[in-house]
Amino acid sequence: MPGVGLLCRVGLRRLVPGGILGSIPGTAEAAEVGPRGRGLWLVTVRHIIYNTTWWDEHLSEENAEFLKKLSTEEHKAQIASKLCPLKDEPWPLHPWEPGSRRVGVIAVKLGMMPLWTKEGKKIPVTMLQVQDCHVLKYTPKEEFDGKSPALTVGGKNVSEFYRKPSVMEMYRELGLPPKQKISIFRVSPNAIIKPGTPLYAAHFRPGQHVDITAKTIGKGFQGVMKRWGFSGQPASHGQTKTHRRPGSISSSGVAKVFKGTKMPGKLGNFFRTVKGLKIWQVNVKHNILYVHGSVPGHQNCLVKVSDTILPVYQDALKNSPFPTFFADSEELPDELYDEELFQFTEPSITFSES
Amino acid sequence: MAALSRKLWVLRCGRCRCLSLSVGQLSSKDGKSEQFKPPPKPIIIDELKQQATEKRFLSPEFIPPRQRANPFKFFLERKHMIQRRKIINIPEFYVGSILAVSATDPYYNGKCNTFVGLCIQRSGKGLGATFILRNVINGQGVEICYELYNPLIHEIKVLKLEKRLDDNLMYLRDALPEFSTVDVNMKPLSYVLYNEVPVNKMKVKMKPKPWSKRWEHPKYNIQGINFDEYLTEKDKERIKKWEMPWREFDMMLEYDTSKIEKEIQKEVNEELNKR
Amino acid sequence: MVLLYRYLGLALPQISSATNKRYFSLSSVCSYIQKMTRVRVVDNSTLGNTPYRRPPKCIHVYTKNGVGKVGDQILLAIKGEKKKALIVGCKFPGPRMTPRFDSNNVVLIEDNGNPVGTRIKVPVPSLLRKKKEFSKVLAIASNFL
Repeated sequence: MPGVGLLCRVGLRRLVPGGILGSIPGTAEAAEVGPRGRGLWLVTVRHIIYNTTWWDEHLSEENAEFLKKLSTEEHKAQIASKLCPLKDEPWPLHPWEPGSRRVGVIAVKLGMMPLWTKEGKKIPVTMLQVQDCHVLKYTPKEEFDGKSPALTVGGKNVSEFYRKPSVMEMYRELGLPPKQKISIFRVSPNAIIKPGTPLYAAHFRPGQHVDITAKTIGKGFQGVMKRWGFSGQPASHGQTKTHRRPGSISSSGVAKVFKGTKMPGKLGNFFRTVKGLKIWQVNVKHNILYVHGSVPGHQNCLVKVSDTILPVYQDALKNSPFPTFFADSEELPDELYDEELFQFTEPSITFSES
Repeated sequence: MAALSRKLWVLRCGRCRCLSLSVGQLSSKDGKSEQFKPPPKPIIIDELKQQATEKRFLSPEFIPPRQRANPFKFFLERKHMIQRRKIINIPEFYVGSILAVSATDPYYNGKCNTFVGLCIQRSGKGLGATFILRNVINGQGVEICYELYNPLIHEIKVLKLEKRLDDNLMYLRDALPEFSTVDVNMKPLSYVLYNEVPVNKMKVKMKPKPWSKRWEHPKYNIQGINFDEYLTEKDKERIKKWEMPWREFDMMLEYDTSKIEKEIQKEVNEELNKR
Repeated sequence: MVLLYRYLGLALPQISSATNKRYFSLSSVCSYIQKMTRVRVVDNSTLGNTPYRRPPKCIHVYTKNGVGKVGDQILLAIKGEKKKALIVGCKFPGPRMTPRFDSNNVVLIEDNGNPVGTRIKVPVPSLLRKKKEFSKVLAIASNFL
């Protein structure tokens, strides 16, 4: 399959015969801008340097379309070839032990909606879609930090035309399309998976708890009231230009401002982790996780989902597939529900009189 | 002959929308031929009517809000909504209709409570859609906000199907109590509805000012109150300042849903008819 | 007097708006019950039903955050006396599927939790049944929502 990618590159050069030469006339014209016959010192020379180019700069529209189509077909073929990782020389599978740590997945945040429990209680859930999530790389213990091995996971396919050649080399070796987000998961030695294995939403099971890391929505430069929840000053009673200001930032005794003092600054757009969110429902068909409550980040952002590290919820983890869910190993229904969750195909709730 | 009469019957049902059975009226109008036979079974007709209403009406919570969310999210939500709609019949109703909702009371051994009231607001999109019913019981104004897809709800019954001049009747809180009073033991009204749902053009009488909101503000655009009775000349001059005539030319505010609506309606009807 | 004005106003909105122009609202605001909230006593006790120049006001809420919702106890200043009361209806919309009332309704109770009146005139939310200690108050209610 990587051969097709190479063909693409070759085709690109052939389609653009005057690729690099095309830009030279432009520079020559620029040099002639200065008025002639006055003297050398008045001649201005503009150096136009095209450092950054876009991939379809010298392509006709039809050719660009053709290449796009070709690359998507190639991506599909690559993903299809990876669907059954157990067939070609699988890595040995180990059983679950207490203290094992599995790999996580990268998912797209779709949005929120309500669900109800069988007691009629409303639960807010966030829908996370696992899109083309693959294990990209295995780093042994010695190369990582000497404590535990790590797996690199990528999620959501993107166009290969905007990636550096150095980055594309890794993907070509793997035989996978480039990914939008890559993150590293620290795993226990018995949970390592062969690079190229696809990960699905069924990796997690309803009833277990997960930790979710994502970049929060950026709010720009904000004052202390919004950023740190200071109470500000009164609106009236002789206040002059002092309503939302921080007030004193230190005392005369110490005569300096301590490091880490809460001050105005940029709010949001940093990574934040929420721990211990319950999974209520898993859609196996469309790869959707229904996670309790809210999740950091805006809609359609990529989040990192992993098994929770909270010790309270560790017991439920032993029921989940170890080291991951393989599509050809287990037959699952389209939807997996938590026991307490109300399914919309059931009749309305009635309580037996007690 | 029987087949012909049935065909005629289908045609009629295609044109008019019947909520309850009114056989006599229809048969008298359809009696072109002398040997006209009354339609065979009322149950079949009822189903036909229901299908006719389903085809026309798309509940407003199916239309996705205007945002950058993935349309696939709304598709999944719709799937849950359709599953629920197959279990209980959520009828066609509007703001201004009178409804009876029976729901399980989780605080009292799961007994079923029925509340009758006037629908004064419909809000929310998707599974979280809600509507508010209002009634005056023993001189006490009561409102209950129901979730349309809450599994505690057992039945939603339309007692009177009609529209009002406004899409939001929150001003009934500041109106005289008789305008929001509904008989608790009301029976569903039986009448034939033609293509359009009737609009009740009643003007509401308000309590003296101050009201909970300035309903005279152009942003509410309320037709159901005759403001001349409650406003002075000075007030009217002030209202003129609040007017925003440029709003109708604001292209950013436009949200044309007619195209999405048709697609969704097709999808929903197909799914509902699968059963 | 205030009540009289209100009833007049209700009967004749046109005249009232022209002649008697009030610039402050007499109805309770749409929020939960806190200190100095004017409330409506809905049982048939003599203390709550005899007219007085001041409306009954909440002077303390027996909760941790000082905000009274349905089922919380408050202390009332009524007719120059201090009296405990139970909130049985709120103007602020609470959770979905529970009723919202047009006035802040309370029922007078003694210090030991027994109701002062013998009947509650208006409907009462069934949410009150969640707490077991008000069974005596619930027993005198006629209508549940």
